[in-house]
Amino acid sequence: MKNFSTDQVALLFLLGVLCILPFTVTGYVLYIVNLLMVFVVLALGMHIVIGEAGQFALSHTAFYGIGIYTASLINTAWHPPFVVSVLAGGLLSALLGYLIGFLALRMRDIYLALATFAFGEAMQWVFLNWESVTGGSNGMRMQPAEIFGLKFTNDIQAYPFVIAMAALMLWITVALSRSQFGSALRAVRESDVAAMAMGINTRSMKLAAFAISAAFAGIAGGMYTLFISFIHPESLGFQTTILILTMVVVGGIGSVRGAVAGAIFFGLVSELLRQALSIQEIIYGAILMGFMMFKPRGLFADRRQRVARAIAGKVRP
Amino acid sequence: MTLSDIWLFLQQGLLSGLVTGSVYALLALAIVAVFKTTDVPNFSQGEMFMIGGYVALSLIMTGYLSYAAVIVVTLVAVALGGALFQKVVMERVTGSRGVGVQLVIATLGLAYMLKGLVRQTGLGDAPRSLPPLVSNDAVMIGDAALTRLDIAIFVVAVVVMLLIWVMFTHTRIGKAMRAVGMNPRAAQIVGIRLSRIRMMVWAMSGLISGLAALLITPKVLITPDIAHIAILAYAAAIVGGFTSLPGAVLGGLIVGVLENLVGLFISTNAIVVAPFLAILLTLVVRPQGLLGGKVQVKKV
Repeated sequence: MKNFSTDQVALLFLLGVLCILPFTVTGYVLYIVNLLMVFVVLALGMHIVIGEAGQFALSHTAFYGIGIYTASLINTAWHPPFVVSVLAGGLLSALLGYLIGFLALRMRDIYLALATFAFGEAMQWVFLNWESVTGGSNGMRMQPAEIFGLKFTNDIQAYPFVIAMAALMLWITVALSRSQFGSALRAVRESDVAAMAMGINTRSMKLAAFAISAAFAGIAGGMYTLFISFIHPESLGFQTTILILTMVVVGGIGSVRGAVAGAIFFGLVSELLRQALSIQEIIYGAILMGFMMFKPRGLFADRRQRVARAIAGKVRP
Repeated sequence: MTLSDIWLFLQQGLLSGLVTGSVYALLALAIVAVFKTTDVPNFSQGEMFMIGGYVALSLIMTGYLSYAAVIVVTLVAVALGGALFQKVVMERVTGSRGVGVQLVIATLGLAYMLKGLVRQTGLGDAPRSLPPLVSNDAVMIGDAALTRLDIAIFVVAVVVMLLIWVMFTHTRIGKAMRAVGMNPRAAQIVGIRLSRIRMMVWAMSGLISGLAALLITPKVLITPDIAHIAILAYAAAIVGGFTSLPGAVLGGLIVGVLENLVGLFISTNAIVVAPFLAILLTLVVRPQGLLGGKVQVKKV
């Protein structure tokens, strides 16, 4: 009999719980689960740029917002199957991300952090002020997403599709991370110079990682439109980027399972502390600082283990 | 809009821009100085600035100290805070892993914690401002109207910049800071203590932030979100080249003028996008910045 790894057991268990859930709980719990899945995809996107490529980008929320508005505007205009509108949001985010990355990565790496920081602020302004498209500060009511005539009007209808998309994105992340491309990204993360010496085009690797992470954020935005019918730009500010950063940092920079676990845990925390903005800020700030000081690899750091197993010939490094 | 209107707006935008720009220039100076010596873009610069404003505000509200004492206490407090952060947090982060991403995250953490703490005290619930030291009487320069306060802000900022320049060129400590910025390992070899210099740079950055806060808060209302001003300082630093101190000053003035012109000609609402536009424009036209020198090929 084949031995299952801890990861596989955890995944199977999670899958089992997710299958039973809709028959046992109320709509609110399903809404939370849907929301957590969106956070998972967002965290995976940030994992790719920070964890795999070691670059710093602070525009995740902006692309998330672009995904939300693109998908919902397309839904309203043409009523295509939701897959189309979600992908459109992801694609637009990736294109914009590519453009910004192309300019920002011309100089030093930290310019990506600074340019994306400014981009995030600028995009929130756009969401707040482009009233004819986004409804401005009144927010926007969204038409339900649909697939082949089935309109998603509540959380339980969207639930299986949201789960499926999150699972798909998780699979893509793992596949990317195990591919040669993933190895190249990690080489860039560990040392620019060494990576260049091995013939890796470091700039295009960083650029690709950033564009992919933007696409993930855009797709997460599209997923959000499956079960939410109202969006306000207030929630698309820098605080959401910090929340996602906290998820990735606590789970462990560079660890996929860390990003997933962090997303689930802090997704719940942020929902519990919805009303207490200042408490959330203090907690996230203290966590970011504390983890960098005492546990910079997060709770799921496993590189040493993996290296050890790789040397023993048990897994591919 | 007639031609004379445009002329008036240009004058007004230029002069008001130089006033606010001088404050951005101070903050950009602090960012660049910290970046040069510690390799960290300080994402908590805005919050250090904000905390300066709130320390002064709370001291004035308790009413025990005279205004002069408040100024001194504020400056010392923020400078000490900056030094402490470098000593306690950043050294530890460098020690435990110490690459760029981790250091940046630590400064983001500080930024968020400070913002949350100020919000938690309730001081930030209502926008407030400090009582002005200088009267708000109008002064006409050409066709543009400024206040005496504006002129005081500009003069103080310029004096501070000159002092910083003197420090960097004529004092041992300033020269040591520059040496660390050029080549930390070589600086260490000639006997400069890296950790002490880095602490001093952070203290200086705190001092400058506190000063900028004291200068601008009589003019604008402060809220915990005023830290957004830092984004203009980042833009200023990038426009100037990010490693050049004179560049930071030049960049700050340019961004200040640009912001005011956008406000006058387009809409005050659009000011938020000015920093992003300035950054993008710099990256397209002259990615190394105005005074960033030639594009250097990274050496091993």
